[in-house]
Amino acid sequence: MKILVPVKRVVDYNVKVRVKADGTGVDIANVKMSMNPFDEIAVEEAVRLKEAGVASEVVAVSCGVAACQETIRAAMAIGADRGILVESDAELQPLAVAKLLKALCDKEQPTVVICGKQAIDDDSNQTGQMLAALMGWPQATFASKVQLGDGVATVTREIDGGLETVETKLPAVVTTDLRLNEPRYATLPNIMKAKKKPLDTVKPADLGVDVAPRLATLKVAEPPKRSAGVRVADVAQLVDKLKNEAKVI
Amino acid sequence: MAILVIAEHDNASLKAATLNTVSAAAKLGGEIHVLVAGANCAAAAAEAAKVAGVAKVRVADAAHYESQTAENLAALVVANAAGYTHILAPSTAIGKNVAPRVAALLDVAQISDIVAVESADTFVRPIYAGNAMATVKSADAVKVLTVRTTAFEAAGQGGAAAVEAVAAGADLGLTSVKGRELTKSARPELGAAKIIVSGGRGLGNSENYHKLLEPLADALGAALGASRAAVDAGYVPNDYQVGQTGKIVAPQLYIAVGISGAIQHLAGMKDSKVIVAINKDPEAPIFQVADYGLVGDLFEVVPELAKAVG
Amino acid sequence: MSHYTAPIRDMQFVMRELAGLDEVAKLPGCEEVSPDLVDAILDEANKFASEVLAPLNRTGDQEGAKWDNGKVTTAPGWRDAYKQFTEAGWTAVACEPEFGGQGLPKLIATAVMEMWKAANMAFSLCPMLTNGAIEAITLSGTDEQKAAYLPKMVSGEWTGTMNLTEPQAGSDLAAVRTRAEPQGDGTYRIFGQKIFITYGEHDMTDNIVHLVLARLPDAPEGVKGISLFVVPKFLLNADGTPGARNDVHCVSIEHKLGIHASPTCVLAFGDNGGAIGTLVGEPNRGLEYMFIMMNEARFAVGMEGVALAERAYQHALAYAKDRIQGTEMGVRGGPKVSIIRHPDVRRMLMSMKSQTEAMRALAYVVAAANDAAHRSADAAVRAENQAFVDLMIPVVKGWSTENSIDVASTGVQVHGGMGFIEETGAAQHLRDARITTIYEGTTAIQANDLIGRKIAREGGVTVKALAAEMRGVLAQLAEQQGDAFVAIRKSLESGIAALESAVEYIVATYGKDIKAASVGSVPFLKLLGIVSGGWLMARAALVSARRLAEGSDDEFYKTKLVTARFYADHILSQAPGLSYAVVNGAAGALELDEAQF
Repeated sequence: MKILVPVKRVVDYNVKVRVKADGTGVDIANVKMSMNPFDEIAVEEAVRLKEAGVASEVVAVSCGVAACQETIRAAMAIGADRGILVESDAELQPLAVAKLLKALCDKEQPTVVICGKQAIDDDSNQTGQMLAALMGWPQATFASKVQLGDGVATVTREIDGGLETVETKLPAVVTTDLRLNEPRYATLPNIMKAKKKPLDTVKPADLGVDVAPRLATLKVAEPPKRSAGVRVADVAQLVDKLKNEAKVI
Repeated sequence: MAILVIAEHDNASLKAATLNTVSAAAKLGGEIHVLVAGANCAAAAAEAAKVAGVAKVRVADAAHYESQTAENLAALVVANAAGYTHILAPSTAIGKNVAPRVAALLDVAQISDIVAVESADTFVRPIYAGNAMATVKSADAVKVLTVRTTAFEAAGQGGAAAVEAVAAGADLGLTSVKGRELTKSARPELGAAKIIVSGGRGLGNSENYHKLLEPLADALGAALGASRAAVDAGYVPNDYQVGQTGKIVAPQLYIAVGISGAIQHLAGMKDSKVIVAINKDPEAPIFQVADYGLVGDLFEVVPELAKAVG
Repeated sequence: MSHYTAPIRDMQFVMRELAGLDEVAKLPGCEEVSPDLVDAILDEANKFASEVLAPLNRTGDQEGAKWDNGKVTTAPGWRDAYKQFTEAGWTAVACEPEFGGQGLPKLIATAVMEMWKAANMAFSLCPMLTNGAIEAITLSGTDEQKAAYLPKMVSGEWTGTMNLTEPQAGSDLAAVRTRAEPQGDGTYRIFGQKIFITYGEHDMTDNIVHLVLARLPDAPEGVKGISLFVVPKFLLNADGTPGARNDVHCVSIEHKLGIHASPTCVLAFGDNGGAIGTLVGEPNRGLEYMFIMMNEARFAVGMEGVALAERAYQHALAYAKDRIQGTEMGVRGGPKVSIIRHPDVRRMLMSMKSQTEAMRALAYVVAAANDAAHRSADAAVRAENQAFVDLMIPVVKGWSTENSIDVASTGVQVHGGMGFIEETGAAQHLRDARITTIYEGTTAIQANDLIGRKIAREGGVTVKALAAEMRGVLAQLAEQQGDAFVAIRKSLESGIAALESAVEYIVATYGKDIKAASVGSVPFLKLLGIVSGGWLMARAALVSARRLAEGSDDEFYKTKLVTARFYADHILSQAPGLSYAVVNGAAGALELDEAQF
C-alpha cells in the first residue's frame, strides 16, 4: 500500500508575521520557514502505518518554490521513502494544488493520501477535500484516529461537539487534526539518510495543470487591535465592572 | 441572481450557525435559498422557512443524507447549483468538510471563513491565525464561501419561505458514519454561548478544571472552553478547545482562567465583546487583550467570583 | 517563563561566513556536509532543544537531583528527555562512525552543543562528560575496552564520567592519592575517594563508565605517577551486558549555587574490597591522556559561556520588550513605554548581544580550525591550525565563561528587582554560569596555560601571526564608506596594537619574572579574547556590507553592522586598558606582604 503525503512549506509556527506596510501581503522575507504542523502529523501517521507493516511506501510531495525541497527532506527525515517536488514560483492556491496532486495521484496510484487539515499560513482547510472531489474518492477529514483495513479505512473525526467514526472505501483522502499523533523528532542518522533518498522534480506544465490563481488578493491589513483594558484589584471590583460598566452579566 | 445557503441542522432542528450564514448571504444582495439535506428533516426545513430573508427552502430528504457526509452532500449541491452565483456554508465541521468539495467539483476556488462581504465578489478573511486580514476577489462565476459565524449577526425570525422538495441524488456509498460520541452537556454549546468560561494549564489538572470552573459556568449560564494546553494535558475533551485550530468564538463575555494567552488561543477568542483574564502571572500575554485583568491566585479568585455572581 | 530558540541565523552566518563551512566540507571525511544538511541538523536540534530540553531547565533548577542512600534520582523529566535525546542520536554527532557515531565535523557539533547548553545546561553536562570519556577511550583504550564500551557510550545507552578531583587534589592534580592495586589478571582494584563527579550516579542508564585517575603502587610522586583506569558501575558479563555491582558508590551529592539538576557526586571507590578497573593506555601517563581530552572539555565549557550568554540575552530581551515603565526620555507627558526604549537598557542589551555574537564567532572559528587540524590531508595545514587551536582554547574557555557571568548579571540588571527574585528565572542563568569559570580549570589556570605554554614557550610566534592576520582586515575596513567602519577600524587598530604590546611584554618578562607576567595573565586572556572578538565582528561587518551592497535587504546584515559597531565602541575599546594592566600591573599586585593584607 502506497501513501502519498503532501507537505507545505510555511512560515514557522513560532514566528509572528508582520503585515507589509504597503498592504500587499505579509513579510516573509528572511523569516524562518518550516513544515506545516498538520502536515508533519500527516507524515508521522503515514510513517507509523509503514512501520506497522500496513503501508509499503510513503511518498512526500510538495508544491512550490525550490526551497520546498527542504520540507520534503524534513519529511524524509521523519521516514518518508522518497519525494516529489512540483516546482513553481507562481502563487499556488488550494484548487491548483489539488489539481497538481490529482495528476500525481493518477501517476502514483496511492491507496491513501494523508494531508494536513489546513495550512497555518492561509488557514484555508480545502486542499484535501478538493483532491478527494477531483479524484472522486471519499474523504475523511479532521482525523484523530486512522485504521486502514482491506479496502476500507476506519477514521475517527473531530466534529463540532464531539467525535464521529466513519468508514470510507479506499482509495481515500484523510486529513489530519491536531491530536491524531504527536510527531517524533527526526533522528540525526535519519536526517543524514534523508539526504540520499530520491527526490524528483517536475513542473506544473509537465503534469498538464493550469495553476493560474482564481483569487486575487487586493489587500492585506492588520487585524483590528484589541487594546489592553484595566487591571481590577479584586473580585468585587470585577463584578462591579461587569455589571455596571460592561453590562454583560 | 440567487444565493444558496447550505443549512447546518440535525434533522430535527436548524443550527444557529445557519442564521449567521443567512445574514452573510443577505449582504451579497440576491434571493436567498436554503438547502436542507437530511433524513426526516421536515422540522429543520420548516424552521429554515421561518428565517427572515429566506425566499425558498429546498429540501432533499433521503436516508443517505442523514449524517450529511461530504460526498453525497456535495454531489447534491452540485446537481442543484445551476442558477446560483454564490454557495455558502457556515465554517463548521460540516461546512468546512463539504464546501471545498463542492468548489472543486464546480472547478472554482473556495473562500474560507469570510468575516466581511465587501461586494458580491470581494471578501475579507483572516489568514495567519488572524494576524492578518486578507481582502480577496474571486474571478470565478460561482463563489463558494464558508462563513465565520461569529462575524455575522444571526438572522431574525418572521420569514415565510416556500418549501420545495428537490430530488435526492444517488447514494455514492463512499463513506458511512458508524457512530458519534457527542459530549453531553446541559450547558450551552461553545459556538453559540453568550458567556464562556475557559480554562488553561494554570488549573493544574482535570479535577481542578471541573471543580473550579463548573460552579462558575453554572452561576453564569456559561459554556465551558479550554486552551490547547489544557486539552493536550487531558483536562477536557478535544471539542472544548478554543483557538486557531479549535473553535473560534466571540461571546459577549469570555472569562479566561489560568490561560497564558498563546497567539493561537487569542486567535480563537479575541473577537469576544468583553474579555476577562484571571492569571497569577502579571506578564501573561492574555492581559494584553483583556478588558478586565485580575492578577491573583485562581484557586481563591474563581470560587469567590462564582459566589459573587451566583 | 523563559523560552529559548536557537539563534540559527547567526549560527549559519558564523559557520558559513566566518568559520568557513565550505572549507570544512572539503576536508577528508566531511564529504557529506552541505549547507542544506547543516540547516536540517540545526533545525531539528533547535526543535529538540527548545521543545524538550528548555522547558525542563527551570524545573530542574527548582527540584534538582536527589540523593537517597546511594541512589541518585534525576530531576522530573530528565529520564524521558535523556531517552529521547539518545534515541534521536544526538549523543553521536561527532563520534567515530566505527563505533556508531556520525563523524560530523566539530564545527557542526559545536553549534548543536551550544543549543543543548543554552536550552538546559544542567542536562547538557551528562552527554558532555560522556563525550570526554569516549574521547579518552578512543584515544588511549585497548581494543577490548573500545569494543566493550564505545558502542554503548556513543549510543548513549551508557554514560561516562571523569574522576579527577579529590578533596586534597583540586587544581593540583599532583596530589591525587587514589590507589590502584594490580590483581595479576590484568585488572586492578581501586581504592579512594573522588569528589565533584558530574553525573557520577544517576537513574537514566543501565551502566555508568567511570574514568578514574589513580596511582599504581610503584608510581613516582607527582603528576608523572598518575594512571588512568576505566571502572564501570556494573562489571561486564562475558556477553558485554552489565553484571555484578562494582565497588564504587555515591556517598553524597553536593548542594550548589547553580546547575542543581546536574548531580555532583562524591564517589567512594573500594570501601568493600576494591572497585575493579582496567588500565587505559600505559601506566603513569594518565594525566597526559587527560590533558589531550581536557582541551575538548575546556572548549565545551567555553561553549557553556556562549550558550548561557545567549540564553540570558533572550530572557532579558523578552522582558525589556514587555515590561512597561516610565515615559520615553525627552518626551514630556508621553505614554508609558517598554523599557527597551530607555537608553541604558539598550546599552545593556547591545552589550549582551554583541559580546555573545563575538564569543560565538570565536568559538566556531576555533572549532573549524580544529577540524582542519585533525582532518586536513596537508601536514603543514594541520600543524598551523593545531597551533591556533592550542592558543585559543584557553581563550574560548576563559574569556567566554568570564563574560557569561557578566552577561547573565547584566540580564538580571535588565530585569531590575524582578531579576533578583527567582520568579522570573533570570537569576538561574547567573547562578548556572558561575561554575563555568571554575571547573575544567579555573580562569587563572587557563591564563597561565595561555601565557606560558601557548605564548612564552614559543616566543609568541602563533599569537603574533594571529595579530598580523588581524591587521590584514584593517585595510579592508578602510575601503568601506561610513562612520561605522571608521569607528570599527580605529577601535580594532588600537586593540591590535594593545595586544601586540602586551604580547611583547609577556614574551620578554615570562622567563625572567614569571610572577610579574602571571599577574597580567587573566587581563591578557581577556585582552586576547576581546581583540579576537573585535577582529571577527569586523569581518562580520565587512561580509554584511558586501551582502547589502549586492542588493540584499536582509535585516540580519543591517543588525550585524550596528552590532559590530557597538562592539567596537563599547567592548573592543577596553583593550588598551587591559593591555596597560598587563604591562604595568605587577607591582601593585605583588608588593604587599601577607601581613599587610
